[in-house]
Amino acid sequence: MPIAPSRLQRLWPPAGFVPLAWRNLTANKPRLLRSSGGIGFAVLLMLMQLGFERAFFNASLEIIQRLDGDIFLQNASKYRFATRDPFPGRELDAARSVSGVASAWPLYADWFDVFWKNPSDGKTFLVRVFAFDPDQPVLRLPELDGNLQELSELDTALVDRHARRFLGMNLSAAQSELNGVKVRVVGSFALGPDFESDGTVVIGDRTFAQLLRGPGGGPPGVEVGVIKLRTGSDPVAVQQAIRAALPPEIAVMTKAQLIELERKFQADVSSAGPIFAMGTVVGFVVGMLIAYQIIYTDLSEQLPQYATMKAIGYRTRYLVRVVLEQAAFSGLAGWIPAWLLSLLLYRVVGEVALLQMRMTWDLTLISLVLTLSMCLISAVLAVRRVIALDPAEVF
Amino acid sequence: MTEAQVGVGRARQPKRVALAWRILTYEKGRSALAIAGVFMAILLIFVELGFFFAVPQGGMLLYDNMQFDLLVCSNQYEYQAQPGQFPRSQLDRVRTAPEVAQAAALYFGSAKWRSGEDGKWPDVFVIGFDLQPHLFEVDDINRQLGVLEQTDTVLVDTGTRPMFGPLTAGRVVKIGDRTVTIGGRYDLGTGFMGLGVILVSDRNFARLFPYRSLDQVNLGPIQLKAGVEPDRAAEELRKLVGPDTRIFTRSELEAHEAAYWTTRTSVGLIFGSGLIISFIVGIMVVYQTLATQVSRLLPQFATLKAMGYANRFLDGTVITMSLLIVIVAFVPATAAALGLYSVIRDETLLPVAMTASRLAAVFVVTLVMASISALLSLSSLRRADPADVF
Repeated sequence: MPIAPSRLQRLWPPAGFVPLAWRNLTANKPRLLRSSGGIGFAVLLMLMQLGFERAFFNASLEIIQRLDGDIFLQNASKYRFATRDPFPGRELDAARSVSGVASAWPLYADWFDVFWKNPSDGKTFLVRVFAFDPDQPVLRLPELDGNLQELSELDTALVDRHARRFLGMNLSAAQSELNGVKVRVVGSFALGPDFESDGTVVIGDRTFAQLLRGPGGGPPGVEVGVIKLRTGSDPVAVQQAIRAALPPEIAVMTKAQLIELERKFQADVSSAGPIFAMGTVVGFVVGMLIAYQIIYTDLSEQLPQYATMKAIGYRTRYLVRVVLEQAAFSGLAGWIPAWLLSLLLYRVVGEVALLQMRMTWDLTLISLVLTLSMCLISAVLAVRRVIALDPAEVF
Repeated sequence: MTEAQVGVGRARQPKRVALAWRILTYEKGRSALAIAGVFMAILLIFVELGFFFAVPQGGMLLYDNMQFDLLVCSNQYEYQAQPGQFPRSQLDRVRTAPEVAQAAALYFGSAKWRSGEDGKWPDVFVIGFDLQPHLFEVDDINRQLGVLEQTDTVLVDTGTRPMFGPLTAGRVVKIGDRTVTIGGRYDLGTGFMGLGVILVSDRNFARLFPYRSLDQVNLGPIQLKAGVEPDRAAEELRKLVGPDTRIFTRSELEAHEAAYWTTRTSVGLIFGSGLIISFIVGIMVVYQTLATQVSRLLPQFATLKAMGYANRFLDGTVITMSLLIVIVAFVPATAAALGLYSVIRDETLLPVAMTASRLAAVFVVTLVMASISALLSLSSLRRADPADVF
């Protein structure tokens, strides 16, 4: 924004536009405190809602992110990750024979049929189960504490120490039961629940086959085929080749496509999107009202001063700019403490609710943009008084 | 001081309200702004509270639409969608009790709806029951009991998501390994049972889930004879069924489900924290308004003081102003909340509804909010010193 070079500005250098807005803002300290408190809490509200929304979506995407592969096979009818829709393991052999494929290994999973017994109170709860060949770990387990190889023994399990507490997975018990079968707990990892499952158990493929037999008592079906490519091969070409080698009932997807499928499902179907969006919008409107109130009050108190400046010869454009800048500063004065407080709240709420509440750059940026726009919109609404101001009326 | 008490004493209350009212109506634009701010804050509280109760309410949806006094279930019962199983013989035993009028058998299952849009197979929640008349308080269901008797015929909940394809009567769909016909629709809601819910007879349930025996029941809703006291009947029946089977009265069941949703899931924390923040935002808005008004009217307040009005009178005026603002804002906020609730119902399919107790609770919360804000702004009022003004 070019500043109109006027004689006055050269005569009165400290009146460069930033200091004036800044001085207006800091002239009345209790008022500044009040206004940043009002705006700040509105911002905090938006940050919490946005944080919850992210946590919700990330929780459902996290497990897909942790799949260790380049290309994935699953049934074309599988509409979301957290549903059982297995395909026969022989399809993986067909995929292996495609040139450019380095390896293709199965991930077995179940969400509806496996009950874990809380080792301390003996109650049983539905859990999510993932299984794979311990020599081919297709899932990267976060903060694994234990030895994956021990899963090759029958009736062993790794448990999620961040699972909901009532499952008792954080008690480091050496033994518990899955569907009434005694299992040895050989270690733990830190994953946490999502909105579908309260906790996760990881077992070896052999244990899984014993626990959940396939159709007709045969081997269980594969939930996701995890394919790694040879270095230097063209992913698009290999994906095409695999698709050609497999029947159309099998979908061949990149990780991005797998994530997109899940994201789209969550956005279409879950209530979380609209719930948190509504919270954010309400926070924005409240913030705007608070900001308008602050700016309006400020302006009416300083109307004589603005009239004086007009009379001296300052242009309306300059005064409008001062008002807008002051609004932006008020926004910042609310946003900074709110952002800091949200870091704390994210941590506390995340710990208690076992949600992945993370402050990210884009969340920072989004909240800042929302804050500034709510303050600037209010300023634009309030600034008409300055534009219409007639110095003659004030004196 | 004594003069003031004499002067104000008799007509204190009306005078205080009148003064507060005149201050508020003196600058209408400013007061309108304050009311708009408080309006949003109250609306926010309504919305968060609505969600907070809607989730457990969504979990109660099926029960709320069923007629029963007691519920028999397994002692492994977690919540409605994960109820565990118990032997049907227990229901036969219950039926022999003199207090019991009817005992129904309810079966739950999950199957692949193999006729979804885009070739997807969404999971459908299947409710099977023994076609006991008037088990459900849904006219569509009671009217179509005859339809349910037909082999491989199902009723579909109207809340079933579009990804299941059209829900028109007569459409033939594949569920699991069976081909069934949609016999009609009913309007109950899917709650947290799943993305789609269908209702079938126990006979058709057994066809859909051939590996399941009808001897293992998920829930047994019981209707007692007229005049029987549910709590006492529950005690009697508990002796009858033994420790592996659990019996809930309706109020116990409601408490159990609400506790499940608010403590076992993140619901309590998410909307609870939203509630607290909106409360604080509300306080901020009202405080902001009051403090501004007080500091602008400081000379006037100082004048009143100089005239002999006691601090208590001035404090009372500010508190009255605060209460007036929130009471005026409460009315449109309630109206807006009603509108917003219906939008939320359509968007999220959650049973968000206004109840008298919620209305009362929010009103009380609002008054508390106003009082706290008023108390906070009293410190500015203390600065009103007649000597400064003149």
